[in-house]
Amino acid sequence: MIAQLEIHQRGGDDSCVAANGFCPGWIADNLDRYLHPFWQHVYLSVVAVAAGFVIAFALAVLAHRRRWLVGPIIGVTGVLYTLPSIAVFFLLQPITGRGPLTALIALTAYTLLILFRNIVTGFDNVPADAVDAARGIGFTDRQVLWRVELPLAMQEIVAGLRIAATTTVGLATLAFFAGAGGLGGEIFADITFKSNVVVAGVLCLMLAIVFDVLLLTVQRVALPWQRAHTGGPRARRLWREARVMD
Amino acid sequence: MTDPATLEFRAVCKRYADGPLVLRDLSLEVPAGEICVLVGPSGCGKTTAMRMVNRMVDITSGDILIGGRSVRDGDAAKLRRDIGYVIQQVGLFPHQTIAGNVAAVPKLLGWDRRRIAARVDELLELVGLDPEELRGRYPAQLSGGQRQRVGVARALAVDPPLMLMDEPFGAIDPISRERLQDEFLRLQAQLRRTVVFVTHDIDEAIKMGDRIAVMKAGGVLAQYATPAELLSAPADAFVADFVGADRALKRLSLLRVRDVELAPPAPTPDAPVIAGDRTVRDALSILLEAGVRQAPVVAQDTVVGMLSVDAVSRMLAEGDVTTQRAAAGS
Repeated sequence: MIAQLEIHQRGGDDSCVAANGFCPGWIADNLDRYLHPFWQHVYLSVVAVAAGFVIAFALAVLAHRRRWLVGPIIGVTGVLYTLPSIAVFFLLQPITGRGPLTALIALTAYTLLILFRNIVTGFDNVPADAVDAARGIGFTDRQVLWRVELPLAMQEIVAGLRIAATTTVGLATLAFFAGAGGLGGEIFADITFKSNVVVAGVLCLMLAIVFDVLLLTVQRVALPWQRAHTGGPRARRLWREARVMD
Repeated sequence: MTDPATLEFRAVCKRYADGPLVLRDLSLEVPAGEICVLVGPSGCGKTTAMRMVNRMVDITSGDILIGGRSVRDGDAAKLRRDIGYVIQQVGLFPHQTIAGNVAAVPKLLGWDRRRIAARVDELLELVGLDPEELRGRYPAQLSGGQRQRVGVARALAVDPPLMLMDEPFGAIDPISRERLQDEFLRLQAQLRRTVVFVTHDIDEAIKMGDRIAVMKAGGVLAQYATPAELLSAPADAFVADFVGADRALKRLSLLRVRDVELAPPAPTPDAPVIAGDRTVRDALSILLEAGVRQAPVVAQDTVVGMLSVDAVSRMLAEGDVTTQRAAAGS
């Protein structure tokens, strides 16, 4: 009876659909029903990574001046990172209700550890002589941060953003447990139907790849001096490092 | 061009937290337009002393005056924009082009684009770099010597009355270092800035300094004198040891043959000919190597006199080398 109902909702009645198979015809006819969950998924991922970045950046700037803060912040964000996401969705619901807000809080929390660590590493790797020279010729602390330290930390920061973006796209498939929709909702709504799982899954994968390529492009456009180093080999090495980190 | 400033240390002390004094009652005065070299073994406080001038290191007690004004007055960042700053590792910004690096301070001061571009080209030419070729490059694409020149250009950007240089040529191979030293002296003859120059190399100190402050462990000033005075009359055993057992020869390298009183020309078969613009030290080396007691000195293709080993030896013994430093420098 339930199976009958699901098949009816699938909106197709050929034998391929009935057999839960991979049906190109059905996919072509039903692609539009993934559009709304897809954009929900984009929204959740982008907002979570952006919010996570703002928070992690503020924390990193704070900890950059007060080194003793690094340990505690890594500890707290580390604990957040290890909490099972589904548990967090349910724990938050009594407070923030069902919906995107609950999902966003959890997803944002998961990005913090990666982003914070990478931003701090980026700041730590800024050549000390460049900072000393900048201060010595009259940059204020704020100018040193924005004009010297931030640009020179960019490589690690973007690397962190790439990892955070890919993992968030994956985690956002669970956001429907918090009532926030997304592609995960489609997958779990009809998990026995191969066509459905493949379409939703491939969309997730594509989204992750698009984010990664976008960030990589930002990195290459914003950091021309990185390529000036030794040209091609350097860029290829960055790719490889980033792959390994993913 | 702005006028160079005088610099005065007044009983300056430095202590980190509750540690021992790293600089003890340093008092010295650098006249405007002169190079003052701070030299000494590591841990003598020479870099600390230099970095207190632009407040990269806080003053514990005492005062430092630039052109009569205390560095403690006003904002540190503003103070630093008026003081050239060159460090051993150069500290160019890797993410900015050579033009961007040289323009760092003018940009902070809000100069307009055209004035900055013109100044950048002027400065690169001044330090012997081709603006066409280099202004668009990144520091990683330059050699060590080129980077250090860019560092000097950046420090000179707003024509500061005072320059601080912390072992600026320390990380450069000996041949390039010598060339950079010569070029900087030529530049200095033209610009006449007041310069505080830190080094641990006594030979560099003697070559670069109008005045040398020799410092010893614990941040104590052992002697503050001109190079010639330092070599002929070291204040104590530490200074004598630091300037080296060959200090007599070092004195001779401060002096050029044409500035020495020569004996009248005499025929000397087989003797080598000495050019008048050589240092007396080089000339002595030539005499000793050729195994002769004296040789003719030539200036503008004519023999102007004879230099002998005995005359050099007598000069050192009488100590009159010291008085001729000014002539040698010109």
